[in-house]
Amino acid sequence: MAITSTESAAVAPRRGMNVLFSLTLIGLLFALWIALGIGTASFWTPLNISNLLRQGAMTAILAVGQTFVIITAGIDLSVGAIVGFSTVVMAWLLQAGFPLWVAIVATLLVGVAIGAFHGFGIVRMGLPPFIITLATLTSLRGVGLLITNGSTISITNEAFTNFARADFLGIPSLFWMVILIAVPAYVFLHLSRWGRYLFAVGSNSEAARLSGVNVNRTIYMAYILSASCAAFVGILLASRIGIGNATQAEGWELQAIASSVIGGTSLFGAVGSVHGPLIGAFILATINNGANLLNVNSFWQRIITGLLIIVIVYFDQLRRRGSR
Amino acid sequence: MSRLEEIAHRHDDALLSEGSRVPTGAPILELKGLQKNYGYVQALKPATITFLAGEVHAIVGENGAGKSTLIKLLTGVIPRTAGEVLWCGHPVELATPNEAIARGINAVHQEVVLCPHLTVAANLFLGDEVNQYGLMRKKQMEKMAQSVLDDLGFGLPAGAPLGALTIGQQQLVATARAAMRGTQFLIFDEPTAYLTRQESAQLFKLIRRLQGEGVTIVYISHRMEEVFELADRVSVLRDGTHVGTRNIGETNETELIALMINRSIEQIYHKEEIPIGQPILETRGLSGPGFEDISLTVRAGEIVGLYGLIGAGRSEFALGVYGRQPVSAGEVYWMGKKVQIRNERTAMDLGIALAPESRRDQGLCLNLPIGLNINLPVFNRLSRGPVLSRSDEAANADRQIRDLSIKTPSRRVLASSMSGGNQQKIVIGKWLSHGARLFIFDEPTVGVDVGTKAEIYRLFAKLLREGAGIILISSYLPEVYELADRLHVFRGGRLVGSHDFHAASHEDVLAQAIGV
Repeated sequence: MAITSTESAAVAPRRGMNVLFSLTLIGLLFALWIALGIGTASFWTPLNISNLLRQGAMTAILAVGQTFVIITAGIDLSVGAIVGFSTVVMAWLLQAGFPLWVAIVATLLVGVAIGAFHGFGIVRMGLPPFIITLATLTSLRGVGLLITNGSTISITNEAFTNFARADFLGIPSLFWMVILIAVPAYVFLHLSRWGRYLFAVGSNSEAARLSGVNVNRTIYMAYILSASCAAFVGILLASRIGIGNATQAEGWELQAIASSVIGGTSLFGAVGSVHGPLIGAFILATINNGANLLNVNSFWQRIITGLLIIVIVYFDQLRRRGSR
Repeated sequence: MSRLEEIAHRHDDALLSEGSRVPTGAPILELKGLQKNYGYVQALKPATITFLAGEVHAIVGENGAGKSTLIKLLTGVIPRTAGEVLWCGHPVELATPNEAIARGINAVHQEVVLCPHLTVAANLFLGDEVNQYGLMRKKQMEKMAQSVLDDLGFGLPAGAPLGALTIGQQQLVATARAAMRGTQFLIFDEPTAYLTRQESAQLFKLIRRLQGEGVTIVYISHRMEEVFELADRVSVLRDGTHVGTRNIGETNETELIALMINRSIEQIYHKEEIPIGQPILETRGLSGPGFEDISLTVRAGEIVGLYGLIGAGRSEFALGVYGRQPVSAGEVYWMGKKVQIRNERTAMDLGIALAPESRRDQGLCLNLPIGLNINLPVFNRLSRGPVLSRSDEAANADRQIRDLSIKTPSRRVLASSMSGGNQQKIVIGKWLSHGARLFIFDEPTVGVDVGTKAEIYRLFAKLLREGAGIILISSYLPEVYELADRLHVFRGGRLVGSHDFHAASHEDVLAQAIGV
């Protein structure tokens, strides 16, 4: 049975659609920037732009980690708690007199351990991702409060706390951290076989297993990456606010999930990218930033974010239905 | 008036009664140039078919011929691209499933779409419960349901949860449900695929009875004998084109198959004389979940057929050999050496490939591109260091698509948009690109059209010529009977009979499988 000429002449619809969706998102981001530039005098000031980049940076990194997990058709609710807990670990280690690099490596390893625990709970104990990460969400906050006895630990290491305020080549160092994470994340998800395995496990784990994919290892990997990203963000946050406090980053897991979903990730798994969540995170940051500049009641920001999620995901659904 | 009609008459509203006014033999539903495109693909080319009130109208065609598209158009699941539908002489939109149902057009699908946790009665009345003072009359509904079931002679308990029934019984319930809604036009989509002979007979009785009450039946099936038993007229689809409609008395099987495939039926079972070589795999007393004490040998150049009813332990045995299920006892020898296969990777590295039973649940990542599915077992070979070679990836996928003539515009198309036959080719393509000495094909031709079947059988011969061995698992006796060099019969997890090619009769093999 030969392929007819009409069929082979047809272009691949899927890739075109994805590019279109990414362009729409970037367009939305630019439209917001232009509108805010016209609507407010202070939006396009260097100070505000670097503020915006700092605000968006941490959500963006969390969203990238979260996306790995969501692509496997899982969810990581614990990332906000891990951020808060990591600030405590960081501050505690510095207070105890460990060198800075030891504190950073140790905090990252704590992230790896938490992610591995999630993998263990899902793979070995058979718990749903929602449950195991919900459990760590609440207990990590508790552990952090126990360590600090409910108070905060100040960080006195100047070099460390200056980092978050520093610029490099005129761009905030926090935004450089996004690039530091995003480039290897892109290579990992889109250019390596491990990325392909994440998609395969999210689409049909049994088919992946029977094709020789180590499904358990893939799941461990996704949750370890997500938790490590969160621990990394915890280090950045500790640098930014100069304290360790277990109640920090309340609700950031929802911001991360929202960014990921706005960026085109499907909560049913097997659909997602690295660039989508990054754009999603900066769209959310822009809305928050703009609302501040426009003196909109901060409660409205939450409502707008909610509406935006509905609108964008709805349009994405329409697009998918149309291409079917 | 029967109980069924009595209940159906609860629905005597204006829309519904329209259909029942059409006299038997007059056109009830007319398709005029009905057409459906998915992007560049013409799933249904302009079709003009007339359905007459009170007839059983069969629709036959290979997979991907456009039968499912036609059903979806008629039941309002998808919108048409062009053309007209006349219902009782008036143009209708059929834009939503509700509109179709309100006019009296219903479908009974191959896979039952009801709620398995609710009782049979609750399912029969679902969305249409009998209420009084805003509360459900559970007892009354159960009684009514039971009287309908008894009336139809099904002998099913109305109070049992639907999930406790067999698939076949559930299908009977689905049919009764459609009949209770005062249906005028009922579409059956390959209803007997999962039914036992007895259940099929009950279903046919019900179909004849509905026909007697003036209901128009559209019957879609692969099985020619059913078409000739039931239908008054038959329409044939091929590659999305309506190629003809015949009165059943004026046609025969040969003509229909010729219309469907344009190719002779003898060419389907393709078997070559291939010398049989050394043993590749030998199991001795292998036991595991669902199978016990299985000893058999597969040699190079040989097809070993495993026949049995569904649940006889054949697939479980295959999963055990492949390392997906733990083996509790027995030994496996690979090329004469004793091996332990603990996981799928070990099996693959030895040279075992498994095309599993269910394409949807085990074989494919449906919402991912065809290319990714084909490359899934071989990504480790397509990587240079940590990064994949995109050109190797494309080349490998495109080669399989070309070699197997998978009908797709691109490797980036999602596997879910392919027909059953093409999906099976994707699964096979996975393992051809990986390569193996032993191929296990579990029900490779279920839901696959005749043309693709023939291609798959020719592919078997090619693999055998290259020195591979094949385990062919099938519930379709002619397939294993005509192809297998050695045929093993499974029943209740045990091997109950082994025969050389054509050494036993069909009847003997069947009797062993059933256990009479």
